[in-house]
Amino acid sequence: MDTQFFVSLAMILATFALYIGIAVFNRAKGTSEFYVAGRGVPPLFNGMAIGADWMSAASFIGMAGTIMVLGYDGLAYIMGWTGGYLLLTFLLAPQLRKSGSYTVPEFIGDRFKSKTALIIAAICTMIISFTYSIGQLSGSGVVIGRLFEIDAKLGTMIGVILIAIYAAFGGMKGITWTQVAQYLVLIIAYLVPVIFMSLQITGNPLPWLSYGEIVSKLGDLDRELGLSEYFAPFEKGSKWQFLALMFTLMAGTAGLPHVIARFYTVSTMKAARWSGAWALLFIGLLYFSAPAYAAFSRFILMTQVAGSKIADLPAWTKTWVDTGLLKVADTSGNGILEWGELIIANDIVVMATPEIANLGIFVIGLVAAGAMAAALSTAGGLLIAISSAFAHDIYYRILKPTATDKQRLNVGRITIVVATLLAGIVALNPPGAITQIVAWAFALATGTFFPALVLGVWWKRSNSKGLISGLLVGLGVTLIYIFAAKYGGFTILGIIDTGAGVFGAIAAFATNIIVSLATKPPSQEIQDAVINLRYPEQMTYKDGEVYMEE
Amino acid sequence: MRTLTLEGSHQTLLPQQIFLEIENRGEPVKKIEKSRADAYFREKNTYMVIYFIIWAIVSYGVVLIAEPLSDIYFNGFPFHYFMGAQGALAVFIILLFVNAVVGDKIDKKYGIDHNKNESIGRGTTVDH
Repeated sequence: MDTQFFVSLAMILATFALYIGIAVFNRAKGTSEFYVAGRGVPPLFNGMAIGADWMSAASFIGMAGTIMVLGYDGLAYIMGWTGGYLLLTFLLAPQLRKSGSYTVPEFIGDRFKSKTALIIAAICTMIISFTYSIGQLSGSGVVIGRLFEIDAKLGTMIGVILIAIYAAFGGMKGITWTQVAQYLVLIIAYLVPVIFMSLQITGNPLPWLSYGEIVSKLGDLDRELGLSEYFAPFEKGSKWQFLALMFTLMAGTAGLPHVIARFYTVSTMKAARWSGAWALLFIGLLYFSAPAYAAFSRFILMTQVAGSKIADLPAWTKTWVDTGLLKVADTSGNGILEWGELIIANDIVVMATPEIANLGIFVIGLVAAGAMAAALSTAGGLLIAISSAFAHDIYYRILKPTATDKQRLNVGRITIVVATLLAGIVALNPPGAITQIVAWAFALATGTFFPALVLGVWWKRSNSKGLISGLLVGLGVTLIYIFAAKYGGFTILGIIDTGAGVFGAIAAFATNIIVSLATKPPSQEIQDAVINLRYPEQMTYKDGEVYMEE
Repeated sequence: MRTLTLEGSHQTLLPQQIFLEIENRGEPVKKIEKSRADAYFREKNTYMVIYFIIWAIVSYGVVLIAEPLSDIYFNGFPFHYFMGAQGALAVFIILLFVNAVVGDKIDKKYGIDHNKNESIGRGTTVDH
């Protein structure tokens, strides 16, 4: 165990102490604090928390690599994972906030006055969030495993125990404030390497302004090698797949329960609007940087690594070859490593970059702490979503409405611990690659919650039968298309499993509308409640009139 | 504080509940012209539609014509790549801030007091 190990470990432990301290300081004292952070988080900090929640281990570690490998087609992830915030902030967040619900299933249960709808929505929430959390715990296991040179499985269990402690303690309030700290850690950890690389390669410390030239240079290099250019559009998939994927990611953003729940923590509809703006700004800092990371890394690999004698490769290549994420071959037998003989896994780009660019042991430790922050922050948000779906929606609203505050808090805490352990166990042997699992979670959200909520908020005629059939049809179509595309090679217009949400959403919207129109409209009371969501808190709509509190 | 219970369980969302809470607060309530409230809603929606049109053009629109755009260069980037990596995202962020600022202005125009909204907002979650 060398100096690097101790430096990295020290930085990670320091950040852990910070998170636990914040969680203890913000111990949730009532259900309002446990589920919605007491409704008083200032929009700017809420925006930061959303940024940390959004930037998961998969994106922190994997996104730059994905863009490097996919070229232009990878940009569907950049636009898809940001553009959805407009759908969320314009169409859903302020209105759901005004409704006063604690959770998405609760909103659905009350809007459609149906216990069945509440239960289905709660189960969907748990499935989607649970799936997503498997990816996060798996990711944290990888970081800890690489750091300690122990099995990633052990790393996963360590991450699990840590999250269970501070999530159960602080609830949404503890999670939110811990996420603010985690955002600061991860943004610094992400930006420092890319700024240094920009200085090294272009002499300009602002990577966002300097990497355009590098993208063009990469195109030149590719052309010399007889490959298609790095930035050429639709090399890896059809135009329709790009559009379908982008839509699935955007609509999924607006349909993921743990993301929507982040807008319940502010005090008003106006605060929800501002929260969305701040969130995208903080998220944007990361997403502006990922393609720069990708371009610089690829440039370094193409110009400094490829073309070198295999016997003379720099020291860091050996450690990464040992992990299996980097493959070096000499199929041409000339003793020189050609670009085509170098095989790079997506994950290597962010994790190995500090070594590739010779940035020093503190930066390497910082990146490890940043990856952990990303994993923990997302996992925390997901576990609260699962806990609230069970402890609030199923236990309190359905099973035991007379439960006391204390009982509800206890059930909430126990659920978090149990859910974390279960997700950890599954994460020990994940059913697929992290990004793939995450993509499925998005597709499911696009096919189920997105149509249900948009119609629920904007179309007062949507009724419970329409909603339930819409949810089930959307779920079914999405799942069938994912399996058919992945295992049966069946595609429409070249759209693969990651773009399945498009078909689920279309089916769900159509079903919801047709069935609602074919059956009884909702009660006048409910229709009034929907109209009431149009106006800010001071105005209330009732029986055809609008009242303003003075 | 009295809370409204319907069918033995707690409810969110319904205006009856809100009215009960307004009564509890003891605040005066006045009726406003429905046409004024409708105008508020229409104004908000018009802006929203404009934002969505811009959103769609910079993302879906640019992707649809990516090939011809790839011949134009901007700050070293092929233009379609620039939009996908930076341009669209920058527009998204700007639109969200514009929405927040304009939303506040519209509220003010219709006489909404945000401090009032805030105390109402914090109250409507009365632990339920």
